[in-house]
Amino acid sequence: MTPSEASPMPSADEPLDDVDFGLLDDIRELFQATDPMPADLPERILFSLALRDLEIEVARLAEEEQLTVAARGAEQSRTITFDSDSLTIMIRIEANQDGTMRVDGWLAPPQRREIEMKTAADTLGVTSDEQGRFAFTRMPRGRAQLVVRPNEPGPGRPGRSVVTPALVL
Amino acid sequence: MTEDNRKAVTIQQTPPDRGAHMATLMRAARQRNEDALGQIVTELSPLLWQVARSAGLGPGDSEDVLQTVWLRLVAHLEEIHSATALTAWLVTTTKREAWRVRAAGRRQVPADQESFAELPDEGPGSEEQVIVHDQQRALWAAIGRLSARCQELLRIVAFAPRPDYAAVAAALGMPVGSIGPTRGRCLAKLRALLAESPL
Repeated sequence: MTPSEASPMPSADEPLDDVDFGLLDDIRELFQATDPMPADLPERILFSLALRDLEIEVARLAEEEQLTVAARGAEQSRTITFDSDSLTIMIRIEANQDGTMRVDGWLAPPQRREIEMKTAADTLGVTSDEQGRFAFTRMPRGRAQLVVRPNEPGPGRPGRSVVTPALVL
Repeated sequence: MTEDNRKAVTIQQTPPDRGAHMATLMRAARQRNEDALGQIVTELSPLLWQVARSAGLGPGDSEDVLQTVWLRLVAHLEEIHSATALTAWLVTTTKREAWRVRAAGRRQVPADQESFAELPDEGPGSEEQVIVHDQQRALWAAIGRLSARCQELLRIVAFAPRPDYAAVAAALGMPVGSIGPTRGRCLAKLRALLAESPL
């Protein structure tokens, strides 16, 4: 490489200068143009952060499967699995005849817990049975988030909610 | 009271010191002030988007990762106290979550689909042309000639708050001083490439 006389080769050890800051600004503009974050993403994130409780355990989306239930025609069913440190939550989402959505779920290990489904409009609550099964039979379509309410807090160990990211019903 | 919190946050809207401003927002967020948390999410999500995308995730997976990262932050808010620590924690966690998703093999975008070479060519009269200036074109070409590591570093650091450059470089596993206070080899190389093929 022959350093040009007009612009001597910049060294890696020099402090950042205005040219560097200008370049970084240009790079940002470039990626803002070619790969912008969806403008409404912060709003969608804030939906899932509006929580009653900050003592939470996050359940990650582990698996998502689309199934066509042949016996019932072309009806679609989705199965989603969320994993957290203490709990696995599996849900199956299906459309009801009337256009509302049905969500059947299982907790593993199986246990009785209060479970909330938060939607844009309100929050619905159910309790799982001893086998860890629960169901929200008629949910509106749209954004929703599951919150498994804390167990009885033990001594020196406050119970924590298990929270999923928002999903679209 | 919520109104008091909101006021305290608004007063520092344009402070001379970004770090102090972010620390105020973080304190307010820990006290359940949703406006404060909203400001933090709005300010730093574009950076995290670039972290997830440059790890090779598609848009859907990137969104999932960002949701998980911000939820995890809520669980860890009590432990993070400075603006720079916040940025570094978010970048590290996003990178880790992105790799976790990639390892699980969900809806993965092949790396070559993201290649710089596939940037659409200039079409005369094309209104959808994203890169309009010759200068941007030259910059794009030069970035494309950097190593993948340098491309990733510069793309992400470009979205980071300036005081956090060094912390972000460290969070990406680049040697401390890669970017800020010194220029680092990636920017030096980019400048050399741009000097080599001027317009």
